[in-house]
Amino acid sequence: MPDVLETSLTAVPANGVGGSLADGPSAPPAAAESPAFRHSRLRRLTDRWAHLAFLTCSLLVVGLIGGILFFLASRGLAAFWPAAGNTGRALSLSEVFLSADWSPSSDRFGILPFIAGSLGVTGLALLIAAPTGTLTAVFIAKMAPPWMRNLMRQVMDLLVGIPSVVYGIFGLTVVLPLVSHTWLADAPASGFAVSAVILAVMIVPTIVSLSTDAFESLPSSLDEGAQALGSSRWQAIWHVLIPAARPRLLTAAVLGLGRAIGEAMAVQMVIGNNPQWIALMRESTDRAPFLRALFTPAATLTTELVQELPNTAAGSTWNNVLFAMGLLLYLLTMVLILATRRLGRGKEA
Amino acid sequence: MRAMPVFRRSRSSKLVDRLMRGVLWSIAILFVVVLILFVGAILKQGWPVLNLSFLTKMPETLDAGGGIKPQIFNSIYLVVLSLGLSLPVGLGAGVYMAEYAGKGRTLNFLRLCIETLAATPSIVLALFGMIVFVQAMGWSFSIRSGALTLALLNIPVITRVTEVSLLGVPRELKEASYGLGATKLQTILKVALPYAATGILTGLVLTAGRAFGESAILVFTAGTNASAHFPDFRLTVPGETLSVHLWYVTSDGTLPDAREIAAGTAAVMIIVLLSLNLLVRLVDRIIRRRTR
Repeated sequence: MPDVLETSLTAVPANGVGGSLADGPSAPPAAAESPAFRHSRLRRLTDRWAHLAFLTCSLLVVGLIGGILFFLASRGLAAFWPAAGNTGRALSLSEVFLSADWSPSSDRFGILPFIAGSLGVTGLALLIAAPTGTLTAVFIAKMAPPWMRNLMRQVMDLLVGIPSVVYGIFGLTVVLPLVSHTWLADAPASGFAVSAVILAVMIVPTIVSLSTDAFESLPSSLDEGAQALGSSRWQAIWHVLIPAARPRLLTAAVLGLGRAIGEAMAVQMVIGNNPQWIALMRESTDRAPFLRALFTPAATLTTELVQELPNTAAGSTWNNVLFAMGLLLYLLTMVLILATRRLGRGKEA
Repeated sequence: MRAMPVFRRSRSSKLVDRLMRGVLWSIAILFVVVLILFVGAILKQGWPVLNLSFLTKMPETLDAGGGIKPQIFNSIYLVVLSLGLSLPVGLGAGVYMAEYAGKGRTLNFLRLCIETLAATPSIVLALFGMIVFVQAMGWSFSIRSGALTLALLNIPVITRVTEVSLLGVPRELKEASYGLGATKLQTILKVALPYAATGILTGLVLTAGRAFGESAILVFTAGTNASAHFPDFRLTVPGETLSVHLWYVTSDGTLPDAREIAAGTAAVMIIVLLSLNLLVRLVDRIIRRRTR
């Protein structure tokens, strides 16, 4: 890092003309004498200090990424390697990550139910949001008349701006009563299905906006070529446009996935918060297995954090494991972002 | 690049085309309907509760009939504080990325960091704020813990918006400024940033809306209690916001009228966000007309 700073600082010529001009046409030297801007030594000094200040801001962001990792790790890893002053005992990795038995009161901390819950509800949400989002995007970019295009943009802007607790209260007071005690669910219908539907609506705007950009940035020759070869509108979309935009469509889906897996409050309000959901799902036999899986109260990594973190003492094993779950979420985010980078690179190659 | 497939215009392909046009239109219309139903349901549920006394009364802890006055104040206060904290950093980082970093590894790495921070779940930021501000600094659940953690949510958005807006400044404009002998800083402050200001401002309003609706972060840093004084500008007191209140009364369940209070709060939030959205659109339209 330090050499970057030095070279860019010394790269600023003495007359103060910025480095960004180095690659463009150079300013006529006489212009530096123009009365509009004066170059006192003070000005040049402020220029350098400003550069430093802007750099500091960027470094702060970089530091934040590292800082979050450090502090979450310091608490989360204490579950496995307790530091001094910790009241908790050391757990083994396998009894946390490979066990489905979550009963903190009897000292058992298997977080598999939450990992499975997060994957389940996110997968379902993506299953709904990715196809509909991609199709909406292609509709906006390649089919809709201008007024509809504008309307859809506004709808997506509004959907993305609605707070997660409002989504949660909508799920709780409108969607849940709609399906509870019906042929779908014989009890309150909290569980994967309702959570996934709510989550899907929450992540669709992300997928739509990124995918629309992807379709709009395709060269028009692709579309025109397909039409010249006699394709129908849909044939052009399905056989040419979607394959051509695929890397960026996948990126959009991955970012939607990231949003879904990290969402806490909306899901917490409708999923039922039952850490023992795997056992419950196995026990009850009164419904078809498929419906049972969709409408059994469950829990995810995020909902469990919201639910239990306030009730645990800092430094206890229970608390440490919850922070380990947070660390897991953070690492997952990093993996997903790196995955989008990979996808993006594949496009250029 | 794959080869163009051979297209056949048969009766079936025409049928499929018609069908898929219908499907795409229906999906799009479905989202419009979902939004209308959504906003309609929230407003309808909250309408009976919404009146002046609900907005201007202090909340109750055990009895029915409480208001949301301090929560409204805390929401605005926290949004303003967090924006004030994140604006300098976000602007600075955005300016650096657009004007100083140049194309290459540094910029790529910075972009990666911003993307990661933007994608970090708010519950993870909440945990970070809880460890650092609430526990390590000993600030407990307070406005200052909340504002600082909330700022982390805003920073990547403001940075991104600043960078994109600055990249949209015409090159000729900057060159003219350099041509007049301006230093880089003068060019940025007096030419580039004013040109980019409308874009940045729009981004700021959207960031404010996001911070206004955020709950996960604030439950763990600003707490679920509101000060009994009003208006309480102290940074050391807990500051429950509207969104946290909405969540807390729903999940806590000690209030007999929790449902009504939650419905009213949700309606207030929707109305505020719709107005913000309208404001952005209006400002955008006015600016566009002026530049034309």
